[in-house]
Amino acid sequence: MSPKKIKFMVGAALIVGSIGYLISTSISKTSMYFVTVGELASRGMDSFQGEVLKVKGNVVKGSIVRNPKDFLDVAFVIADKDVLGGKTETKKSNLKVQYKGITPDMFIDDGEVVVEGVIKGGVFHANTLLTSCPSKYEAEREAGKSHPDGLSTYDLKDSYQKKPISAPKTTI
Amino acid sequence: MNQIGEFSLFLALATAVYGLVCYAMAVKGNRIDLYLSADKTPLIVWGCVVISSAILLRAFLINDFSLEYVWAYSNKELDIFYKISSFWGGQKGSLLFWTLILTSYTAVVYFQNRKKNLEVFPYALAVLLAITTFFLFLLNFSTNPFEVLPLPPEDGRGLNPLLQNYWMVIHPPTLYLGYVGFTIPFAFAVGALLTKNLDDGWIRLTRKWTLVSWFFLCMGNLFGAQWAYIELGWGGYWAWDPVENAAFMPLLVATAYLHSVMIQEKKDMMKVWNMSLILLTFVMTIFGTFITRSGLIQSVHTFDEATLGYYFLGFLFVIIAASSALIISRLPLLKSKNELDSFLSRESSFLFNNLVLLGIAFATFWGTIFPIVSEAFRGVKVTVGPPFYNQVNVPIGMTLLFLMGIGPVIAWRKATWSNLKKNFAKPLIAGLVGALLLVGFVPLNSKAEVFAYITFVLCIFVLSTIFGEFYKGTVARRELRKETVAEALGSLVWKNKRRYGGYTVHIGVVLIFAGIAGSSAYSTNVEQHLRIGESLKIKDYTLRYVKLTAVEATNVKTRIIAELEVIKNGRHLWTARPEKEFYKGQNQPVSEVDLYSTWVEDLYVILADFREDESATIKVYVNPMVSWLWRGGLVIAFGTVIAMWPDRQERRRRLERLKKQAAVFAPAQE
Repeated sequence: MSPKKIKFMVGAALIVGSIGYLISTSISKTSMYFVTVGELASRGMDSFQGEVLKVKGNVVKGSIVRNPKDFLDVAFVIADKDVLGGKTETKKSNLKVQYKGITPDMFIDDGEVVVEGVIKGGVFHANTLLTSCPSKYEAEREAGKSHPDGLSTYDLKDSYQKKPISAPKTTI
Repeated sequence: MNQIGEFSLFLALATAVYGLVCYAMAVKGNRIDLYLSADKTPLIVWGCVVISSAILLRAFLINDFSLEYVWAYSNKELDIFYKISSFWGGQKGSLLFWTLILTSYTAVVYFQNRKKNLEVFPYALAVLLAITTFFLFLLNFSTNPFEVLPLPPEDGRGLNPLLQNYWMVIHPPTLYLGYVGFTIPFAFAVGALLTKNLDDGWIRLTRKWTLVSWFFLCMGNLFGAQWAYIELGWGGYWAWDPVENAAFMPLLVATAYLHSVMIQEKKDMMKVWNMSLILLTFVMTIFGTFITRSGLIQSVHTFDEATLGYYFLGFLFVIIAASSALIISRLPLLKSKNELDSFLSRESSFLFNNLVLLGIAFATFWGTIFPIVSEAFRGVKVTVGPPFYNQVNVPIGMTLLFLMGIGPVIAWRKATWSNLKKNFAKPLIAGLVGALLLVGFVPLNSKAEVFAYITFVLCIFVLSTIFGEFYKGTVARRELRKETVAEALGSLVWKNKRRYGGYTVHIGVVLIFAGIAGSSAYSTNVEQHLRIGESLKIKDYTLRYVKLTAVEATNVKTRIIAELEVIKNGRHLWTARPEKEFYKGQNQPVSEVDLYSTWVEDLYVILADFREDESATIKVYVNPMVSWLWRGGLVIAFGTVIAMWPDRQERRRRLERLKKQAAVFAPAQE
């Protein structure tokens, strides 16, 4: 290979190499495990002691408690979505979370959240709280509007009877 | 009516498949009759898709909730603009929207090229038809926008209030116009490979397409950032979310492509590189839409549908495999006549520019797919967040900024010491002077602040090289033609639209770099709970909480508005009115931040919470130089329009060139 070619290869290798080095060191410094509440429970909280961790779960209904003295201090509990849906709440896969800061608008009961932080003394201290930008409008369920799959018999009756059915009057 | 829409999609699919088969057979058997038959199919497909789209739009506008998709994203009370934008608000409609744009672009390509008798044209059309077939297949068999609900409900579910702002109307369409646009150069590249027509003809043909698509993709990214900043209200504009990255990576690769094709045009080099880059750009656009739709990567944006993900994955695989095989088989024909002469030359700085851009793209890609890779290899998801992206992309970005000052100015082939001195002495001095001046003004207490400082110095350096170019050109014209400064500058730019349009775009990019540096390193915020009459202080602003009002905006929307008086240097500056909007039937409000934006900094006020006693939690950010991003975006838009503007001389030259090209499929009757 000509010396010119070698120079270019070296130059390109330097660029590629430094980018690769930058990436690998940054990954080892900033990466964090991303688990669901259930996975966290099965691995055990101790296996993640001291490490920054990212956990996904849904807010357990009624668990949001705000410090009356400091609105920005909030405690809540998260669990896996299917656990919640099945109406069973095994104590094991609940995770207590403590967060200080403004909560996003979609931070509500049953809402999906992702928290980043560390586990200290059985409680997850979150420094970041993220919610999903839903393309499904979940909250409508509470307001009484039904999803097509979940039509109750009551609703069915209503939809059928768009016009009031007048029974033929028979007069004897 | 809806059944017509559904059938129309099916007809489109059938026609596209027919057209593909015809093209394939026409090529194989050299049959002109089949070619003529296939020739009109792109237009028929386009017509069918337009009809389907119109019918879906109509369903939205007349509140036809028998369609599941209309029910899911609209309701009776929705404003008409949002009814229209709901068209692309969900999975199915956005796929139809993509297909609409793709077929419309194909129709334009058809009309642009049908009289030119180009050998590559039918091949390009066939490729476009093939890609369209994929999307039509999805629309017919996987995600059908005309899916019907068994019992039509009275009213729809409505559009998420978070999406009810004008950004929803412009951000997705702009991005899609960009994404889909890169299909065209890709199709012509494949056509060139297939016909072995591997000079720069296909590049010249698709240059405007590349520029236009790049323009929309860039603006789409900026709109997304602005939307996040103004509507989502967390104080920032970019979170390195997988879907943000999905829109960013094609932009980076496309920028690399945009630059390296210049080298092929001027020096006939880097042919294999360019082929690979346009393939990569197209792959990244599909990958981007794949990430958004498959839920494979956790994001705040994802739609759902896991099966769709598999289809896209398969499609990606086929494209990459087929195109790579094609490139490899044509490798001998793609050998360049020239090669790089020197480390210090424009060619090599363009090459470095490409490597750096691809480096950022790769780092972003790696960070985005890392959770999946780590789960595959280690059984547990490991993610990286903004700290990773910032640590990696900031240094690489600064290198890119530096290169932006070198590339346009450095000599071709081999820069000698004397022309290095001539071109770079003044900008380097300007940079040094700037560095010295800034040291006094800019705090240097942390790594981030040091990086910001270096970025500012680099910005000064790059701006001086660009202004130097404008200056030198204007002076040269004045010497020759005795024009005024304005005339000389005007005709300089007008006679060299590509070059000076490009320089203008660079100015815009510099502004954006500066804005990012300033807002990342020097942002501060304060959050405090206030009772009426109390104040909070941030930097040299005092915000005094005046009152809380409730306004019934519509019969479903109530606005709670906090009023704060903003005082700076003892004088009233502004009245901030951050609010929370409550929608009936929804138990979660939408925050509307209030913003006071100047060249220096943004004062960004959020109403986080309020109580019955009218006390409120207020969070205030001071974000320096954020407006530089948006204004830089305007400069980029302006520069791109100049670069894209049709040039009569160039057009004449091109027509002459095309007339000389051989026509294989010249129709018997003209």
